[in-house]
Amino acid sequence: MIKKLSVIIYWAIIIALIGLFFTNDFGLVDIRKTSIIVAVGVDTQDGEVQVTAQLAVPQPAENGENIQYTQVQGSGITVADALNEINSKTGFYPKLLFCKLILIGEECRKEELFKVLSCFYRRNYSELTAYVAMCKGKASDMLAMPATVDPETASAIQQVLSVELEKSANVSSVNLKDIAETNFSKSAACYMPFIEANKPGTSQNGGNGDSVGGDAAEGSSGSSGGGQSETSGGGSQGGGSQGGGSGSGSGSSAQSGEPVEFTARRTVIFADGKYAGILDESQSFALDVLKNDLRLAVMPFDSDGIHYTIGMKNAKSSIKLKVNNSVPELTMSFKAKAQIQGKKKTLDPKDVPTDDAVKETVLKDAEKELENRLSNLVEICKETGCDLLGARNLLYKHNNKYYDAFKDDLLTRMKVNYKIDIQSAN
Amino acid sequence: MKICTRQICFIMLAYTAVSKIIIYPTFLSSLCGRDLWFPALFSFAVQAVVVWAISYLCSRTDKTLFQLIEGTLGNICARIVYGLFGLFFILGTIMPLSEQKLYTHAIFYDTVPSLLVFLPFFMFSVYAASKKFTNIGRSADICLPLFVLSLLFLLVMSLWEVHWDNFLPAFKTPAKDLFGGSLATAYLFFEPCWLLMFMGHFKYNKWDATKITASYIGGGLLVMLILFIYYGIYGEAAVSRQFAISKISLFFPAIDLLGRIDLVALYVLEVVMLFAVVLNIQLAVHCFAECTGWQNRAALSAIVNGVLLVLIIVLDSKYNSLSQVFGKWLWIVFLLFATVVPLLSWAMKRRAK
Amino acid sequence: MVTLEKNIKGIKDVLTSQDIIVFEFQSSAGKKFAAIYADGIADKQLLGELVVKPLREVGRDAKLEEVKLLLASPEVKDCKKIKDGITEVSDGNAVLFVDGEKDFFVIGLKNPPGRSVAEPPTQVTLKGPREGFTEDIKVNLGLVRKRLKSEKLHIKMLKSGQRSDTAVALIYLDDVVKKGLPEEVEKRIADNEIDLIPDSSYIAQFISGSPKSLFKRNGTSEKPDIFCAKVCEGRVGIIVDGSPIALTVPYILTEDLQTAEDYYSVSYRSTILRILRVFSLMVGMFLPAMYISAQLFKIQLIPFQLLLKISSSISGLPLSPSVEMFFTLFVLEVLNEASIRMPKYVGLALSVVGALVLGDTAVKAGIISTPAIIIVAFSAICLYTTPDLVETTSTLRWIFLIISGSIGPFGIVLFAAFIICYLVTEQSYGAPLLAPFAPVVKSDLYDSMVKANMKNLKDRPRSYGTQNKVRYKAK
Repeated sequence: MIKKLSVIIYWAIIIALIGLFFTNDFGLVDIRKTSIIVAVGVDTQDGEVQVTAQLAVPQPAENGENIQYTQVQGSGITVADALNEINSKTGFYPKLLFCKLILIGEECRKEELFKVLSCFYRRNYSELTAYVAMCKGKASDMLAMPATVDPETASAIQQVLSVELEKSANVSSVNLKDIAETNFSKSAACYMPFIEANKPGTSQNGGNGDSVGGDAAEGSSGSSGGGQSETSGGGSQGGGSQGGGSGSGSGSSAQSGEPVEFTARRTVIFADGKYAGILDESQSFALDVLKNDLRLAVMPFDSDGIHYTIGMKNAKSSIKLKVNNSVPELTMSFKAKAQIQGKKKTLDPKDVPTDDAVKETVLKDAEKELENRLSNLVEICKETGCDLLGARNLLYKHNNKYYDAFKDDLLTRMKVNYKIDIQSAN
Repeated sequence: MKICTRQICFIMLAYTAVSKIIIYPTFLSSLCGRDLWFPALFSFAVQAVVVWAISYLCSRTDKTLFQLIEGTLGNICARIVYGLFGLFFILGTIMPLSEQKLYTHAIFYDTVPSLLVFLPFFMFSVYAASKKFTNIGRSADICLPLFVLSLLFLLVMSLWEVHWDNFLPAFKTPAKDLFGGSLATAYLFFEPCWLLMFMGHFKYNKWDATKITASYIGGGLLVMLILFIYYGIYGEAAVSRQFAISKISLFFPAIDLLGRIDLVALYVLEVVMLFAVVLNIQLAVHCFAECTGWQNRAALSAIVNGVLLVLIIVLDSKYNSLSQVFGKWLWIVFLLFATVVPLLSWAMKRRAK
Repeated sequence: MVTLEKNIKGIKDVLTSQDIIVFEFQSSAGKKFAAIYADGIADKQLLGELVVKPLREVGRDAKLEEVKLLLASPEVKDCKKIKDGITEVSDGNAVLFVDGEKDFFVIGLKNPPGRSVAEPPTQVTLKGPREGFTEDIKVNLGLVRKRLKSEKLHIKMLKSGQRSDTAVALIYLDDVVKKGLPEEVEKRIADNEIDLIPDSSYIAQFISGSPKSLFKRNGTSEKPDIFCAKVCEGRVGIIVDGSPIALTVPYILTEDLQTAEDYYSVSYRSTILRILRVFSLMVGMFLPAMYISAQLFKIQLIPFQLLLKISSSISGLPLSPSVEMFFTLFVLEVLNEASIRMPKYVGLALSVVGALVLGDTAVKAGIISTPAIIIVAFSAICLYTTPDLVETTSTLRWIFLIISGSIGPFGIVLFAAFIICYLVTEQSYGAPLLAPFAPVVKSDLYDSMVKANMKNLKDRPRSYGTQNKVRYKAK
């Protein structure tokens, strides 16, 4: 009897499995019913969220791949509503598993940051490793712009957020987890790169950057990069709806279908989940130097009336906070080996053997330059009340007994020390 | 002998660890924040003492627990105790099984699948639970290398992302919450009961008590390491990240290039997790076989699994309520069976070896 | 007085077939003889040289003993019963009747047609001996004797098959093999009541103990060097007449991951190759299943760039991922089966049809995708790294495929756990199938996934419970 029963069960299982195999019907979503979202742009307008998903749409190809990229938009009260609308429009189930870029439109700075990001953060089926950045103008417009370096816009934007650039202090890349971690810490401050689209040849490289900071940036977003041209600023396509969007360069680029270059030299900062300002290039550089594990950072400066560009390697940086005699002291340390990469002076053949070694005076000026940049960064933190350097967090973790006493006015109360030691690499 | 000391050590090391790395870290971080390691340390320390006490008892007698109770309190009493242990093992399986269900849905499927996809587990379980101690021991022999390799892979991928200062300032959580965290998770700590069931089924050699206890401590340390890594990576965001072991290696740079290679290690580890869950069901079947004297283990296994199947279907999507009930009320049952009863076994008459 | 005719009639009444030849001759003195043999399997030339020629000199009144002394054949047996004579004739020997005598002689003239010793096609090696077993049991025993000259080598001749009366040889080292093992094997062989044993695989099924299992319980070898090495490790070898494949028991799964060459190469290289084989085996079994699981249930298993390529390839296909893989695997199995069975000259055409028409055209027609073909082809290649396990692993590949297409990756893991749970307690003549891993046999681990240096392999495998545990003593 038992043997007979087991045979019946055995066959029932086989038939059930074969049935399921050929029908594939567990209500699941397979590869052909899924849209592969490679990037998401989020814009807000009149309290409504507009999500633009850049989709990779595979086309039949005998050899290799043939992918076309397309954009689908959805809108709603929340990001989740918008994603749901994309689903209903396309018939595809939008999976964010391969979404490596979340681009936030400039208009979103009026909103609480995590009102925009929480959907991505909460979903178990989206990755915390996705880069997050704010862009000039509307995210949907930026995702539609053709790029010079890569046929896929999202990929081109990711290239300017890459780890390699981060290690050269050119960008302050962050992912969703980094933002959540810092935003929900005691410092309640976070940052993300500010992406701008420029016509080829118009973007300014290096330089000290402008001195625009804080809220001032809102009205002058086009004037970045130490005299950088207005035209390189981002305006939005079709009239631009961002606050004070004065530029029109990239917008016209997009309209005319001309390829653009993306840069992420400036950094948007948030305090208590709200927009606090934009760091200029020199402040962004200072932030990168402190936060990232540098491989080779290039810093231009003047010494003795000569323009130098030095490369800093073997860098080590740290931020420490101590309380001495009831005074909180924030110490920023930076140590690196420097090498001259460029010098605006014709090299005398006699100086060739000794030119590799960086002179002590030049090193001192380099240290001074970096200290200036760091102090600028501290100033903007104080101005905007954005604890970007994590001072409150350090106080809470390492000097907890003073936390309650200092937490409210720590940024203004603390004394800042700079320990910068740049030595010649040769 | 049906099982040997080495296999018990493997069980104590691997099965202890894998049963506490799914939701336990998240749950503990929600209860105790950055001090989550303390309740874990406390729970493991208490259980390690009980494990040592039982393994030391094994050196004093070659009787099984059933024989010990039978020799002291009579056959009926022994059957009753085994029946109760059988029920306890079923109770102890509910939470790990519910965790497994949620975990498999998360790591094996991109979208939330039907409950149906988890139910084939019971086919495996019916078969495995009808097997005896030899099978349990040899399965552990296979599981240990799988466990070591997959865990090592995951740890290597995750260690570099840990921020150790996430644990500062330490001991800011009130003592009540710390010990409360330990009690609220007591439903995951009943390894001494496993050992109690193995008693008399393996040949005790010198130092075996030390080896078994050291293995248990090893398993505990691995869980603690995973707790540290998990909280070290996510900090205060850990509360919202479930299925800890599947989340710790996400930030490894090679994943961008090679895809989710950590999933391969997670799938291998899942094999060990399945055996760890099934061990409780195997022991429940063993207890009922001793209790009823019915040696048709296949039928007993089918009945026990049938009960669990019904429970899982009925309790589907009630995990949070379940953990509330287990954490708030049922800890006393686990404390009784996993700590008090094992220690009471010292009071039984035992023949000197 | 028994007449020659009466004896001949006794045999011819039973062996009525026309290939049973009766050759009557007489000596120069007039003594009559009759030799009976089966045409084709007895050596007629030897009969003439060793029997007929010497018997020309026999006197008319010579007795049986005198006749025997004159026979030049080294293999002469006295026989009394006609029934035994019939068996010997059927076996290829000749019986010699002497006029006036009831008893007779059996002359060993057996020489059935067969091929010469050659390299076996399934176990080709670059290093090491190239000899392989043939279908002739005597040749095979000779090949074994050539390598194992020990006085402890026991060869027990058995008969199996009620009608075929096939010779089966049990070969073991008496001082090494586990006590009682040869007797148990002998009993299982004797217990079968089948009428014909055409090949050793028939015997394998009778001695396995779990004939319904997907996993075999005996090792196989076509090479005498491997066979002898296994016998030296404490196994019982079984050679069946008519089969070039010898069997060995007990069997552990690990032995199929080993090749003869592992022992003839540097141990590091052997270890790498063994790990490669295990890895290939896993890939071969799991790859098609994981591929469709990834497409249907867990896209994250595929790296992004690869996903784009796969998506492009499968875009527009009429078949679902699981049916596509099922179909592709089905085609592979059909091609595999046909290529083995088809005559060699058709084989080339089959390759062209299989590779070009079915493969290339199906992709161009958009019926199946290129990745599916790559996956299936790679899986097939991977499985053939361990040819002795192909029957099992290719069946498992189908099961994994069906499970993954229906339940998803969890089904794969669940079934893998089920197989482990099943295998850990399965045995072959007392040796655990998963030894030396479950249970762990520490000393045997040196010749499992890793192949240690010969200096570390002083002990015979413990998993078989051998009497003599030491393989060699270091000086």
